[in-house]
Amino acid sequence: MAPAMTDGMQTELRTLLRSCVQCGLCLPHCATWLATGDDVQSPRGRLILLDEILGGRADAAEPSFLAAFDQCIGCRACESACPSGVPYSLLEYGQDLAFAAAGSPAGWSSGPALPAPLIRRLSSVRFLRTAAAAATLASGLLRGLLGPGWRTRLARAPGGLGRLPRLLGSLPRSPSADEGVVRLLNGLIAAAAGAAAGRVEDPSPSATVGPESRVASPDILFFRGCANEGLMPGTSRRLLDLLRRCGCRVDVPQGQACCGALAAHTGDGRGREDRHRRNREAFGPGPAPADGGPWILVEASGCGHELKSVPGELAGEVLDATEILTRLSLPPLRPVPLKVAFHDPCHLRHGQGIVAEPRRLLRGIPGLELVEPAEPEVCCGSGGAWGLRYPDLSGILARRKAENLAATGADLVVTTNPGCLGQIAGALADVAPGLPVLPLTDLLWFAARKG
Amino acid sequence: MSMPGQSRASRPGASGGSGPLTDAASLSVYARDASHLALGRPAAVYLPAGEPELRAIVRQAARERRPLVCRGAGTGLSGGALPGDGWVVLGTSRLLGCGPVDPLGRTVTVEPGLLNERISALARPSGLHFAPDPSSQSAATIGGNIGENAGGPHCLRHGVTLQHLRRLRWCDARGEPAGTGRGLPLERGFDLVSLLCGSEGTLGIVTSADLKLTPDGRSVATLLAVFPRLDDAVSAVVNLLGSGLLPVAVEIVDQAMLEAVEKAFAFGFPTDVEAAMILEFSGAAEETAGDAARAADLLRRGGARDVQTAADEAERLALWRCRKKAFGAVGRLAPSYVTMDVVVPLGRLPLLVRDIQDIKARWGVEIATAFHAGDGNLHPGVHYDDTDPEQARAAHAAADAIIARALELGGSVSGEHGIGIEKLHVLPWMLDAESARLHHEVKTLFDPQGLLNPGKLLPAPGASFAPCPEPPESVDFQWESLTARAPASACLADLQSAAMDRGLWVPLGAWLPRPAGSWGLATAGTVGEAVADLVTGPVLGGSGSVRDCLLELWAVTGDGRRFHTGAPVFKNVAGYDFTHALCGSGRVFVEMQAATFQLRPCPAHLGIWGLKTAGGVPLDWPALEPLLRRLRERPNQPGPVCLVDLEAPGGGTLIVTAPGRDTDWDLGALGRLVGECARQAGLECTAQAVVPFRDGPTELAARGLLPGWAAAGSDWDLLGLPAGAADPGQNVLPVRLRRAVLQADPWLVWTPESVTDPAPWFADAVCRGGRAAPLPRPAEDVPAAYLRGLKRIFDPDGRLETPAWLEEG
Ligand SMILES: Cc1cc2nc3c(=O)[nH]c(=O)nc-3n(C[C@H](O)[C@H](O)[C@H](O)COP(=O)(O)OP(=O)(O)OC[C@H]3O[C@@H](n4cnc5c(N)ncnc54)[C@H](O)[C@@H]3O)c2cc1C
Ligand code: SF4
Ligand code: SF4
Repeated sequence: MAPAMTDGMQTELRTLLRSCVQCGLCLPHCATWLATGDDVQSPRGRLILLDEILGGRADAAEPSFLAAFDQCIGCRACESACPSGVPYSLLEYGQDLAFAAAGSPAGWSSGPALPAPLIRRLSSVRFLRTAAAAATLASGLLRGLLGPGWRTRLARAPGGLGRLPRLLGSLPRSPSADEGVVRLLNGLIAAAAGAAAGRVEDPSPSATVGPESRVASPDILFFRGCANEGLMPGTSRRLLDLLRRCGCRVDVPQGQACCGALAAHTGDGRGREDRHRRNREAFGPGPAPADGGPWILVEASGCGHELKSVPGELAGEVLDATEILTRLSLPPLRPVPLKVAFHDPCHLRHGQGIVAEPRRLLRGIPGLELVEPAEPEVCCGSGGAWGLRYPDLSGILARRKAENLAATGADLVVTTNPGCLGQIAGALADVAPGLPVLPLTDLLWFAARKG
Repeated sequence: MSMPGQSRASRPGASGGSGPLTDAASLSVYARDASHLALGRPAAVYLPAGEPELRAIVRQAARERRPLVCRGAGTGLSGGALPGDGWVVLGTSRLLGCGPVDPLGRTVTVEPGLLNERISALARPSGLHFAPDPSSQSAATIGGNIGENAGGPHCLRHGVTLQHLRRLRWCDARGEPAGTGRGLPLERGFDLVSLLCGSEGTLGIVTSADLKLTPDGRSVATLLAVFPRLDDAVSAVVNLLGSGLLPVAVEIVDQAMLEAVEKAFAFGFPTDVEAAMILEFSGAAEETAGDAARAADLLRRGGARDVQTAADEAERLALWRCRKKAFGAVGRLAPSYVTMDVVVPLGRLPLLVRDIQDIKARWGVEIATAFHAGDGNLHPGVHYDDTDPEQARAAHAAADAIIARALELGGSVSGEHGIGIEKLHVLPWMLDAESARLHHEVKTLFDPQGLLNPGKLLPAPGASFAPCPEPPESVDFQWESLTARAPASACLADLQSAAMDRGLWVPLGAWLPRPAGSWGLATAGTVGEAVADLVTGPVLGGSGSVRDCLLELWAVTGDGRRFHTGAPVFKNVAGYDFTHALCGSGRVFVEMQAATFQLRPCPAHLGIWGLKTAGGVPLDWPALEPLLRRLRERPNQPGPVCLVDLEAPGGGTLIVTAPGRDTDWDLGALGRLVGECARQAGLECTAQAVVPFRDGPTELAARGLLPGWAAAGSDWDLLGLPAGAADPGQNVLPVRLRRAVLQADPWLVWTPESVTDPAPWFADAVCRGGRAAPLPRPAEDVPAAYLRGLKRIFDPDGRLETPAWLEEG
């Protein structure tokens, strides 16, 4: 919410704002500008609006100003691109100002409104497990996984994987994203083994994430994250399995909550604080990382960004899964002779500045050819709840992303965030039917599989 | 025209489609651009999705007499895209169409909203790129590049935006569509492409452009040199370019700029030095390695503390990212700044740099400078705190002092950013009154109601203008600045010969077989004729035409008024570009008085290969086509020039000639390629030699390679391949001709035969050769009314030549 500002704050803010030299170099990185061609929907445009408000030349409650701030996805691509170091927080501040002036909570005053109960439920694990929410993600994922082009695409791939499509084709449709991933893994396993069918030796839930999985003096604390937990629990289990095979003592603290990002997205500051408190309790007051305390591993980049944004919030060094995996010595990896394109989730690339790690992990898989899509820094248009509120823009961006990924000629797309996964899989189903999407850690798990 | 990934949606919440945006946010945002200047608040913003819609908006504005400004990405630094109060803003961000890349003609057609960097991305699969690379290229549009005639680091070798335009389609002030001609290289006439390019949207709106694409260098070497002293760095550039090395780019950033860049990117530049230089060579691997080593040696002897080569592509890109984002990074230095864009003759650059230090001390200001050093173009930025009026005054006074000094040194007020509203007050310092008058008359001709971006670019009528500089009376070389000034009456061959004595030349081919059986400057006897008639021959190592190496012009209008345009600098965007627009316009609009050319390193050698069919089977075009196409794939060099004579005794001959270096990897490699192609085509090599470049014509004759050409008359037709005309796989050779000289890049054919029934692709003869041939009728898309208007402006009494086609209607 927009705080009442002292004169000093005003001056400081204006100084900060002047670091924007209006060069426009951020425009082609901004998803909303790319989708509209409208300079108002650009970082520079929004900063100009903020300057107008602060300079007293415009009223913050002006609807067109509100709309401009509201439609910012918060992807922070502009911050990464800006040579002048203009912080994204200025845009957030503009948003707060505008919504405070309009007398409504940030994010929900204009544009196509979602019913309030739905918004609240968006941040609950239970909701994410319901078919309604999972539908967007899962159906997209599955269409992507099982589309017709998939056959021919993998038939081209060298090695045993060429047999994969035939095996996949006969499988029934699956109701969840998790199962889609499992099916893809099964296909990969079967193809690699030259067998008629593969089977993921799925680590059992209780052994990995349940209460009995607790270990003493762990070196990694596992943050589950509600989206992964709700939509792709298997992926989390396989990651845990992989970590343990790397020799890590991984503990999954019980009683942990959502990271709080979704509450923050919906302008629910108290909800966010509540989640933070619950996580503080769950993760306890362990020793500081400098004293050899455990790393806190976060699987979904959105959660990682949220948790890192409150330094010292959780005792221990919060690290993305890819950061931890690059620091570990992985078990021997088997060849995966596929062309793979990596999609950078904004929360990973811009929010946490992690670009090299996932690529390093992928390049470490023998036989894998990593290809770079155009516009790797541009948001896929999922943006958590943003995509649901601006479906037109979101659709344009998803398509653009899918086209760029497909243009690489990749056999497989890999990413690290469930939101991006669903968004991209859905668009790929139209743009490049049969080009599947897989979580990075699942691909690593597959390459490191036993037997 | 459409491209994947470029669909646009209307902004939800705003009025849909491309209808006017009139909400408060739109009007606030579109009132600004990267210039930090302010003019007014527009009445409406349009983002048309197609050319017809764009023209409808222009028509409506004309009907309502509402001023209109065209806006690309708003990265312009002189205020070109700023609207005044109540204007219409016409944004091109949804005009993103793009035709297929034509790899043979090396062209692509694009709509104006396409971002500069995207064009190169599109061309990359064909091994081509769009060479002009302004530092803003990731965000700036091609329309804005054309509007400002943008340059960039790599323009040193390849030329600025203008040199990469084949033709434009544009919309005039009334909303009527128009073109600029056939898009053939070396097309004669009043060149509307040159006039529109850099006109800042004050004469017409560009709706699509045929661009010239450049082959990628096979290998690139990028050096980073750090200099404890800035003076040394600048002098080193002058020495380096004078030594015959031609890097694709030479950039310098000074210490203050380095600090800003370091803060932004932490690249690891030392900040205890006064200057860092980025230098790039491109070409064959051996060439770039050799040149880079020579350059490194020169730089070290010139005071460089450390010279390093980028280890890999990633390091190279990081270096360029630092350079290209330097401007944005200055936002970290001070809250406000004035950035200049002065350019001086290369040899004077060290003087200006020293004077800037004095100016800095005198006004007590902070200055950070980035240089396109090889071009003599620099961006000193005076930094100040705009809340302190005293500082602001000092900053602007210092800026004006720097500009004045650059002009004293023979420079220009703007090398690439344009005049806009920012430099209106300094433009008269370099324009003579007659030239200023011509500016206004041309503006009135194209935009009689004064609605297209009014108040921009044009010098204020009442200002006190610079005197017209005296034209040179004899050929005058400025070796350090790499320029040659010459009166129109000077003999071009003598000028070339004197330059070649120093290893330099004006990169004009202009060599064609002459009736006497020798080779030489075909028809252009004098400098004036070369400039007026654009006469040139196959380009043996040059970049193209007289237009590409002309910097400055003195001319006299039909009613006897003398004026001066351009400057002896490598780039210049101060005002309308009459210099290039008049080049090739015959004797119809003005009489040429004198000209300044840019000098370049002259190729050292000429390779010659004489081929004929084995066993007496007559040569024919279909057999030659694959051979000629392959020869063209020479890395980073103009394709060879081939003389085809199907009438020669014994079934016809083919002579391949190419400039280059007498080394195994250059002409040696080309020789092997010629041999291989010849074998495949069933030809045998009858002669082979590498001779000094300037002796090429005599050596050819001495070897008896030109007997058939002796019979050719002195009238040559020049034929060109129109942009986008060649389908892949289509036979593009002039099948009906018996004798022709072919240059494959750009694809041009000279023939002494009269072309009456040519193959379809070259139905348009660019020009009928021969001295003083009348100016040909322009293509139909060039609006005759504007040409007649130009004739009235430059030759009001019709005292100069008036071709019949100009009198019609
Ligand atoms: C960080 C930075 C670095 C820069 N570096 C360079 C550099 O290295 N070299 C350089 O030359 N410039 C440079 N510039 C200046 C600027 O980027 C160029 O002038 C660029 O060409 C402007 O493109 P734009 O699309 O932003 O055009 P705009 O700023 O929107 O418009 C520029 C002018 O072109 C006109 N125009 C736009 N579209 C059309 C059209 N379709 N038809 C007719 N007129 C049109 C406008 O009316 C206006 O007068 C830099 C700018 C910045 C901010
Ligand atoms: S935010 Fe940064 S990149 Fe964007 S216009 Fe401002 S200074 Fe330039
Ligand atoms: S955060 Fe993303 S959507 Fe918002 S202005 Fe920046 S780049 Fe654009």
